[in-house]
Amino acid sequence: MSSPYVSAPLSDPTLTVSSSGEPILELEGLYHKWKGPKPPVLDDVSLILRSGEVTWVGGRNGVGKTTLLRLAAGILLPQRGSVRIGELTPASKRGLYRRQIGFLSAGDRGLQARLRVSQQLDYWGRLAYVPRKRRTEMVADSLRRFGLEEFAARRVDRMSMGQRQRIRLAMAFLHEPRVVLLDEPRNSLDDDGYLLLNEQIEHATRRGATILWCSPRGEDRVIECDASYTLADGRLERVQ
Amino acid sequence: MSQFRLWWDAMWGIVRRDAILFVTYRSQFVAQFLSPLFTITLFYYISHILTDKSIHSPGGYFGFVIVGLVIVQILTTSLGIMPVTVRQELVSGTIERFLVSAHGPINGILGTMLFPLIDAFLSGIVMLALATVIFGLPLASTAVLAIPVALLGTLAFMPFAFFLVALVMAFKQASFATQFIVAGVAIVGGLYFPITVLPSWIRWMSAVQPFTPATDLLRHLLVGTPLVHPAAVELLKLVGFVVVLFPAGFMLLRASIRYGQRSGTIAEY
Repeated sequence: MSSPYVSAPLSDPTLTVSSSGEPILELEGLYHKWKGPKPPVLDDVSLILRSGEVTWVGGRNGVGKTTLLRLAAGILLPQRGSVRIGELTPASKRGLYRRQIGFLSAGDRGLQARLRVSQQLDYWGRLAYVPRKRRTEMVADSLRRFGLEEFAARRVDRMSMGQRQRIRLAMAFLHEPRVVLLDEPRNSLDDDGYLLLNEQIEHATRRGATILWCSPRGEDRVIECDASYTLADGRLERVQ
Repeated sequence: MSQFRLWWDAMWGIVRRDAILFVTYRSQFVAQFLSPLFTITLFYYISHILTDKSIHSPGGYFGFVIVGLVIVQILTTSLGIMPVTVRQELVSGTIERFLVSAHGPINGILGTMLFPLIDAFLSGIVMLALATVIFGLPLASTAVLAIPVALLGTLAFMPFAFFLVALVMAFKQASFATQFIVAGVAIVGGLYFPITVLPSWIRWMSAVQPFTPATDLLRHLLVGTPLVHPAAVELLKLVGFVVVLFPAGFMLLRASIRYGQRSGTIAEY
């Protein structure tokens, strides 16, 4: 499936397509400690996400996967260490950094309950600075790719959990980001939804994006990952 | 496409979103137009028993208080709703969308503050219109000049909104501060009564916030209440407050977001 946006996504020179295997997102020496006596949730964590690759990070509940994703997304700023995409970091050149990111949080949050599905995607397209001319087309494309066409005029709060997850996924991919960060993306998805998600991951990696998939279970056994890690005691270990 | 166009599209998207949400809650929509009517009616009859000579306003106490009521309406609609809206965004996880969007959290929050502001202005206009049409409030011929002054006044009010939203971002709650600010402004800003009736030990507070000059100017332009100081002086005071408070409030808002991002509390609610 080819995309009309790959050649010059969002007309931004920083959004050029990377060659396969080239580092895109580099996390180096990340340290994060929550308040209280507990040990740091991340302690000297380093990870390189490469173009065209899917990386899976697993680990028990509360081990720090979501914190890692939030740091990578720029939602949180690192207490120590660095997060960067080329020259861009979440602390400097923030706007350009965020344009590279597609993010799916865990759970079912982040939707405007009373907007219609197409309005929700259009709204996100605006926030993601998708130019007006392309936005209509990209929203229609996202509706189709995630099997949401027939629900386009339905209000978000009248959708099932699985359908809402598809909307949230559509938002993560809509603006053709170079880095797609997914926190438990299979939540509530039926088999068709899971299939559509895999297709979108394949499509994204083909255009040179990199995917980071975090979940507690062993998804690395059911999805095609180029690299798998587990997070435990603040450390990231590669799974062979 | 220029960066400004993209920014504008996103801002408009947020306002459009909030307008859609507002209209879908029909009872809220109706209540917002009914409650000013009740307030005006109440003060219209109170004004019949108040004949204090210290109020030199055409239209008597009703003419005097109506501008204060409009400002209270604007304050409660804007200052009251803005932190609540941002808190709801935190709870529903939609603030997170701003944090990962090209538009960013500051622009996102500013955009979120726009609809309550528009709504507040419309409420204020509706209130004035009701007072004029139903209760015969004599509007001055200078009333139209109140529009630029009201816009300037808004810029002077905004730092208080930034402060409240910064509280929400840092501490997740701000309702106590909102009530404190609105009640405090009503007392020292001369919204319901002339500040000359205040005891001298508290009167200095009337001079150190932007609500007093804004109220005096609006009252002068809308209903012809005489000014104590020349209009240019009051205007200069208002501009001074904007110049000092606006960047300070903006920096506070930015600092609260940065604090939340660094400590991790930005994701909490």
